[in-house]
Amino acid sequence: MRILKEGEIEYRFEHPDDFRRFVRDKRSRKPEPKLRPAKEAVSAFVSDGDYLVYDFSSLTRGPQSLIREVIRQRRKDLWIGAEFTLHESALLTGAGCATRIDVGFLGYGSYIGQAVCEGKVRVYDWTNGGLALRLLAGARGVPFLPTRDLLGSDNMAVSAAKVIEDPYTGLPLAAVPALNPDVAFLHVHQADIYGDARIFGTNLFALEAAMASHRVIVSAEEIVEPEEFRKDPMRTTIPYFLVDAVVHAPFGAYPGAMPARYEIDLPHIDILNGIRNEEQMQKYLHDNIYSVADHEEFLDRRVGSAKMKELRGRATIIEGYR
Amino acid sequence: MTRMVEFTDTEFMIAQGARLLEDGRTFFVGWGIPQVVAILAQKLYVPNVIQLFEFGAIGPQSVLPFVRGTMGGPQNTYRSLQWLNMNWAFAYSAAGYMDYGMLGALQVDPYGNINSTFLGGTYRMPKRRFAGSGGGNQVASQCWKTIIVIRHEGRRFVPKVDFLTSPGYLTGPGAREKAGLPAGTGPYRVVTSKGLFGFDDETKQMTLLAVLRGLDPGEVVRDMAFRPLISKDIAEISPPTEEELHLLREEIDPSRFLIRGEQMSAPA
Repeated sequence: MRILKEGEIEYRFEHPDDFRRFVRDKRSRKPEPKLRPAKEAVSAFVSDGDYLVYDFSSLTRGPQSLIREVIRQRRKDLWIGAEFTLHESALLTGAGCATRIDVGFLGYGSYIGQAVCEGKVRVYDWTNGGLALRLLAGARGVPFLPTRDLLGSDNMAVSAAKVIEDPYTGLPLAAVPALNPDVAFLHVHQADIYGDARIFGTNLFALEAAMASHRVIVSAEEIVEPEEFRKDPMRTTIPYFLVDAVVHAPFGAYPGAMPARYEIDLPHIDILNGIRNEEQMQKYLHDNIYSVADHEEFLDRRVGSAKMKELRGRATIIEGYR
Repeated sequence: MTRMVEFTDTEFMIAQGARLLEDGRTFFVGWGIPQVVAILAQKLYVPNVIQLFEFGAIGPQSVLPFVRGTMGGPQNTYRSLQWLNMNWAFAYSAAGYMDYGMLGALQVDPYGNINSTFLGGTYRMPKRRFAGSGGGNQVASQCWKTIIVIRHEGRRFVPKVDFLTSPGYLTGPGAREKAGLPAGTGPYRVVTSKGLFGFDDETKQMTLLAVLRGLDPGEVVRDMAFRPLISKDIAEISPPTEEELHLLREEIDPSRFLIRGEQMSAPA
């Protein structure tokens, strides 16, 4: 196959055979209880230098409690991959945890934009479709997948996508490399203690990320009985053997929304949007993350039951969600 | 004496965008203003338009009011035909099922190429960094007709974009196809806060088609950093109607989060 054009950009890549061997040798198929506190799960499965991917965003069903735990444990040199790296990318950068980000849509608030301009964090623009396709390739066990976008754009030059000659039509075609992250975070509506998990509503690439990643941490609003999954298999998003740890995290998407469970806390989102400098960032991190021991203490002391009740009450659209 | 209508530039762009859509067609909705365009259009003009969002909502129906900060939540996935995920959402556009796509832009050039990534400096050391493509590159590459929505400020219309995030006609006729993009696709209209542009069939260059009632076409193009083509028959665009403004202000965005902007007026 002829390569017509390629950039020289660093990117995360693993030979599909290496990933397959990892899956064969290192991923347990046994139904073992995996319910653990977030502190233990993050400590066990997230290391300095890891590539971390997560589904959705700080606005909707993002694994916010797990991300706060990563910040609390002061992980270093993480490489983040996400479609909508909204407030998470700013917080992870501000906390000194993330040094590289594959996007997607980079944004919210001026902090992250400034951090890019000042060289605090490196951004690689793969586009939303490009990143989703990279994870699909990682999940399908192929080294790349072709697509008919990215072509002709500057995203091609600043990602490691290549232009190849299509062996069937002879036309130029974009190829994006498979992505097999070290760890994926998924915040879900329901999980059992083995890791079977259900997301209600749409998702970005939950199954792709779970299949393509070396380790998967699921945080769940609710822990349900394992037989619930067997009774209604159409609704299983992730089967247990893809999952390494299950964390029970009610309000785990806070300050974002959990569809049909609670609404977004807009005043808190406005505080995040308003972070403009290092002092404000460090104050936010101190007040909401470093000064509390864990997610439970954060909810108890910083959010409060009245606020949680209000946000639950505002989630009035439940049709389609179960 | 002619009665004057007062509105914001954002309201005008939203109303124009909503009038462009065809009923019974599919519409790939970008983030921000296009979301409100979709709601207004579906409520007033095109009840059978099929909206599609990259986060996997296929054919949702609009819930009022628009709640800021919702993305893939119950409000903008309500009563969908189907709930999927991103790879399947882009499959719909890649296979040719999406008639229209609508995107915002920081900068646009004469061929409708879009920059939404950075302004000034270089990619590694930009002066100002913005969100980047999101799914914009896929929308502009794959939908049959892409509509660009951009505030009418001269510095936004540049001979060459600082970064080509989402493709227009690239360098001119045939360039999209040569690059490997799906044949027969490309930018269709550019909605601004002063007028409406299309693209010349032969040269693929941006062409002024219409201006807001009361504005002079020469005035509209004067401060643009490139000189667009000007159609022989410039049409007049009526300002937002009472019905459009009522729906926008009272029902869709009562908190005025998205529809706020610079005040304008035009003869009713």
